[in-house]
Amino acid sequence: MNTTKNTPILSVRHLVKCFGQREILKDIDFSIDHGNVISIIGASGSGKSTMLRCINLLETPTSGEIIFEGKNILDISNNIPLYRTKVGMVFQSFNLFSNMSVLQNCMVSPVTVLKHPKKEARQTAMQYLEKVGMAQYINARPDQLSGGQKQRVAIARALAIKPQILLFDEPTSALDPQMVGEVLSVMSDLANEGLTMIIVTHEMAFARDVSNRVIYMADGVIVEDGTPQDIFGNPQNKKTQEFLARFTKNI
Amino acid sequence: MAADMPTTFLGWVMFIINQYGTALLQGAGVTLLLALFGTLIGCIIGLFVGIVQTIPVTDRTNSGFKFLNKIIQFIFAAYVEIFRGTPMIVQAMVVYYGSMAVFNIDMSAMVAGFLVVSVNTGAYMAETVRGGIISVDKGQTEAAMAIGMNHIQTMYTVVLPQALRNIMPQIGNNLIINIKDTSVLNVISVTELYFVSKSAAGVYYRYFEVFFVTCVIYFIMTFTASRILRYIEHRMAGSADYQLVNDPMADPTGIFPNNSNQGGKQ
Repeated sequence: MNTTKNTPILSVRHLVKCFGQREILKDIDFSIDHGNVISIIGASGSGKSTMLRCINLLETPTSGEIIFEGKNILDISNNIPLYRTKVGMVFQSFNLFSNMSVLQNCMVSPVTVLKHPKKEARQTAMQYLEKVGMAQYINARPDQLSGGQKQRVAIARALAIKPQILLFDEPTSALDPQMVGEVLSVMSDLANEGLTMIIVTHEMAFARDVSNRVIYMADGVIVEDGTPQDIFGNPQNKKTQEFLARFTKNI
Repeated sequence: MAADMPTTFLGWVMFIINQYGTALLQGAGVTLLLALFGTLIGCIIGLFVGIVQTIPVTDRTNSGFKFLNKIIQFIFAAYVEIFRGTPMIVQAMVVYYGSMAVFNIDMSAMVAGFLVVSVNTGAYMAETVRGGIISVDKGQTEAAMAIGMNHIQTMYTVVLPQALRNIMPQIGNNLIINIKDTSVLNVISVTELYFVSKSAAGVYYRYFEVFFVTCVIYFIMTFTASRILRYIEHRMAGSADYQLVNDPMADPTGIFPNNSNQGGKQ
């Protein structure tokens, strides 16, 4: 393992995930450095989302290691809820708590999990809601918001626990083009501020412009892993070329 | 005596109300008491059993807990099946006479009645609560876990409030069923509305007139309960409006936004 100053914040080693007999992820191996933004692209069913869900253990990996802060979090003794407060997640379907207001959504984890005082939790929540442009809507309930607004609140909720890495699982796939723009601009701001992010996305232009590394996945393996310039400008693998041919035409 | 007896239906009804009104209302009171507390305790039992039945067991769960969980699940499943699968009137007989014969406990009819209604409602509610928990979108649980909540925190803050809202109509159903079905407790001489009515009817042999009054009293109770529950459901759904907050940082308590526009539907 790399032991220089640039120790990766998170490493995935030989990750395998099977659903029954079907092997969805086959020996996935990669790591992410502090402050990096990785986009994961690939066709539907290639295992991108499963891999992301394995990283914060919403799916239990069949075998392999996930190393965070020098510890393998798959060791049975590890405190998974505590780990999850350090690795936030934003979902495709937003999943805002429908029994709470926007503000409560952003305060519930700091208060119940991290045991922060309410006043402090509120200030933090307001700060992030301000950042995503949703501070006016603190009294609204999720079902009163548009898709783009919901996703921005979901991002604020994830940020409110101050994660060290933020995972995005196709955050814009359920949105119309105008709403996609508002969510992507929030994500670009976060990238510019140096937040470590792993983004599963179908937004090729965003992957090319915002991330500093792109991983192309197909059939449960990492086919190509490189800078956006390399992947989009000069893909080496035939599969990558075929996959990107459809998008490069449109860009 | 025969001279001043009523001759018409309405006359008899008025006569019955005059003679037995207080007794019938007392019976109705006992019925309501049994139904309300029986449903309440039944809901608490059902909530507990339903929650325990939905505890997730994964590969990471330790084997001692898995074994204990299996035993508890078996007991709860048996409880639900037995009390859902036998008539309440029979349960009342078994509990009231059985407690004396087997355990030598001299239970009053009222206590036996409470016990039977609560435990019976609990069995139905357990299934309702289980259904309510399953019906909450899996994404809600995942989102709660993704921000670090453990199973108990997830249930308490996210899943149960939503499940409870979803099963409110079914809780109402149970209350109304209990108001009516406590009438079976007359077999163990609980002095609820049906028992009182039967006694009153026997005095003058006016079954139709007495039970007509009883019928009206039952309906008033169930209809009121149903309206109140509808109102509670409506309150739980929350308001359709929300307020935009122009300067959210200015008010750190956030309860009274200092300057607001209306948002949402008016």
